[in-house]
Amino acid sequence: MDDQVNVTAARKAFKWVGTRPVRPDGVPKVTGRAMYGADMHMPGALVGKVLRSPHAHARVLSIDTSRAAALPGVRAVITAADFPEQTFEYIGPERVAVNFWHVTRNIMAREKVLYEGHAVAAVAATSDSVAAAALALIDVQYEVLPHVIDVDAAMAEDAPLLFDDMITRGVEPAPSRPSNISKRLEFKIGDLDAGFAAADEIIEHEFKTATVHQAYIEPHACSARFEADGQGEVWSSSQGHFTVRALTAKLLNMPVGDLRVHPAEIGGGFGGKTVVYLEPVAAMLSKKSGFPVRLAMSREEVFRASGPTSGSSMWVKIGVTKDGKITAADGVFKFQAGAFPGSPVMNACLCAFAPYDIANARTVGYDVVCNRPKAAAYRAPGSPISAFAVESVLDMLAKKIGMDPLELRLKNACRIGTPTIFGPKHAHNGYAETLQVLLDHPAYKTKLGPNQGRGVASGYWFNGGGESSATMQVNADGTVLVATGSPDIGGSRASMAIMAAETLGVDYNQVRAIVADTGSVGYTHVTGGSRVTFATGTAVVDATKTVIKDLCRRAAMIWDVDPEGVVWEDGYAKPAGSNVGEFKPLSLKEIAAKAAQTGGPITASASLTAGGQAPGFSTQFCDVEVDPETGKVTILRYVAAQDVGRAIHPAYVEGQIQGGVVQGIGWALNEEYIYNSKGQLDNPGFLDYRCPVASDLPMIEAVLVEVPNPAHPYGAKGVGEVNICPPMAAIANAIENAIGRRLTELPMSPPKVLAAIEAGA
Amino acid sequence: MSGAAPAKVVFTTGFARRYTGGEREFAVTATSLRGVIKEMDRLFPGLGATLEEETTVAIDGALHEVGYFQALRPGAEVFFIPRIEGG
Repeated sequence: MDDQVNVTAARKAFKWVGTRPVRPDGVPKVTGRAMYGADMHMPGALVGKVLRSPHAHARVLSIDTSRAAALPGVRAVITAADFPEQTFEYIGPERVAVNFWHVTRNIMAREKVLYEGHAVAAVAATSDSVAAAALALIDVQYEVLPHVIDVDAAMAEDAPLLFDDMITRGVEPAPSRPSNISKRLEFKIGDLDAGFAAADEIIEHEFKTATVHQAYIEPHACSARFEADGQGEVWSSSQGHFTVRALTAKLLNMPVGDLRVHPAEIGGGFGGKTVVYLEPVAAMLSKKSGFPVRLAMSREEVFRASGPTSGSSMWVKIGVTKDGKITAADGVFKFQAGAFPGSPVMNACLCAFAPYDIANARTVGYDVVCNRPKAAAYRAPGSPISAFAVESVLDMLAKKIGMDPLELRLKNACRIGTPTIFGPKHAHNGYAETLQVLLDHPAYKTKLGPNQGRGVASGYWFNGGGESSATMQVNADGTVLVATGSPDIGGSRASMAIMAAETLGVDYNQVRAIVADTGSVGYTHVTGGSRVTFATGTAVVDATKTVIKDLCRRAAMIWDVDPEGVVWEDGYAKPAGSNVGEFKPLSLKEIAAKAAQTGGPITASASLTAGGQAPGFSTQFCDVEVDPETGKVTILRYVAAQDVGRAIHPAYVEGQIQGGVVQGIGWALNEEYIYNSKGQLDNPGFLDYRCPVASDLPMIEAVLVEVPNPAHPYGAKGVGEVNICPPMAAIANAIENAIGRRLTELPMSPPKVLAAIEAGA
Repeated sequence: MSGAAPAKVVFTTGFARRYTGGEREFAVTATSLRGVIKEMDRLFPGLGATLEEETTVAIDGALHEVGYFQALRPGAEVFFIPRIEGG
């Protein structure tokens, strides 16, 4: 990988890449002036509200909206009947296999409600109180049906069926009876029987993980304005306003070109804001009423009606030789999809054993519907779940053969050329480097006290590429504007400005980066999949290079020389050699001042489909202390190493790692959806849905391992997701190290830990 | 193209079964991904659109969204896998 060497060597020359300048969105956020989804208040806007099902599973017999519509102040009432029906077909990527027949039913229930909180109607009124009163006047008659919440129960022969005609895909011959199993997947490599026969030790175990929410601080919110000519505008907080545009236009059966979507600031998404809930509803209410409509979810609505990630039931079996070589691995992963098909179980299958060189392996996945809100993406969707099972079994094996758990992983670490279970060979290193840096970490060998334990685990995530666009404008005073279509969730405006400044050779503070609406920049895929710094960053660098070429051409015009006689260095146009002539270098500001005379405004755009993204690897260890009287687990130390390729803005990269780890700690120890016997969520708020807060945590030490990706101009890899893969297993392994009992079900809350202690007493 | 080693083209899962009858590995002579897609569509009409819309491609291990412009070296390994979406 000569390119990697070149990128590494070039690092010394970087002026801005790798530095930590002040974030451009900091002041508006800390002063409360940043405009989030709910902050848009248009003149004459109506208040929208959504009526939601109190039942987990019921047939909708009738909906009478007449009394609500007659209430003074009510301007519109809508139900599913206002939205066009969609064709039943799976379109697009198999993992997310968008079936708009399902999507439109998730937006607004039709024949049945499939989870508590499922939207059944919506109103737009002149005030909050009138809207609330109108909801109370909508008469919905239900036939309550038996429901199913748990994934294993949903797969049972006698389980209540959410869809009477769902035949499992991926099974041949196709089953003759419907079930809640939407799909079966299988990936395999090598000879499993031979692999397990070669093992000296084999461990298999079952695991369960709870449904957890992305728990973004900002609830879903949007405003929509529909004009009489059929054109519309939406303002919303999302991870991709181009996706909001596409989905909303499809659900309203309108041309994409007639809808413009403006990105608001986003208060967290973590995958959960890559889909739409409110935007089509607000747009339809606006269309019907003729007024702008604002819709915002309450926290309860967020929990009840927006996508968490899947809960799961898993089985994993791994065999090793006495000296620690993995000979075979097998896993079955059953994922809750929620009310409609589309869990991230395929990713779980692909990522489960991906960090390891295993000649014989198989993963089987089941996508299972149940009476919960439809699952949405959550940080490396699917991978953290399978990692919990796989990394727990690896820890058990390491203990059984008396090997350090990091050494076991290092012995089996994938490298360039290692085959994967899904076929291609790994094209990038980075995993072994994360292991080695923790083996060398001074805290890894420190002595632990009573009731304390140490655990390690690793994780893998693909990272993403795809379509991105960027536009650069050079202003008359030499300042620079960079516009992209990527909502800024993790500091991308700073990263874009850094890469533009680095490429252009100007001061970072000369560059302002913004997120432009769908009418002002080229199509850009969502801020998700850890793709923005890689894909959109490449588009920014490409646009910058085009601007530089134009600047050189203009300098040549000013000097009256051939354009080939001008080079761009450190922010200045300079003669390429003494034969060109003696000219004082021209700054960006000097050339910008002559823009009108040299051809007009200096702008350039770049659009691309970025490819060659490198995967992310993370390895983490933590020290915990378990209170033997209460079962409470305290995290004493947490160290997270991650291959980040090249940290463009290290503080933001560290923040991504810390954030992913903290979400993983919550997933490990406390977070879960708790349903009552009627299938109603009992803890739809942060008091009862327990996320970690600062006082629960030590400082998360982020260790940045830089193995640059040659496919990116500065070597960047995606950094936003893989960090959430290891924590659940790392903490389970640490608890086992502390109390000598293996916990296999998340969350490992105090009652479960205490029960484990008492069972072993 | 004569004499150049063909690319090894593999479909990771059974997503193409409805077109290929279960066959998942092919040798295709092409210098770009566009050539591979065209050849697969010639052999199995309709498969080209599926590859373009529903898969991610790994060319010699490196992941890409499917694009016509991606060049292939002689003997390249091309795996089509179901498209991966992140959070």
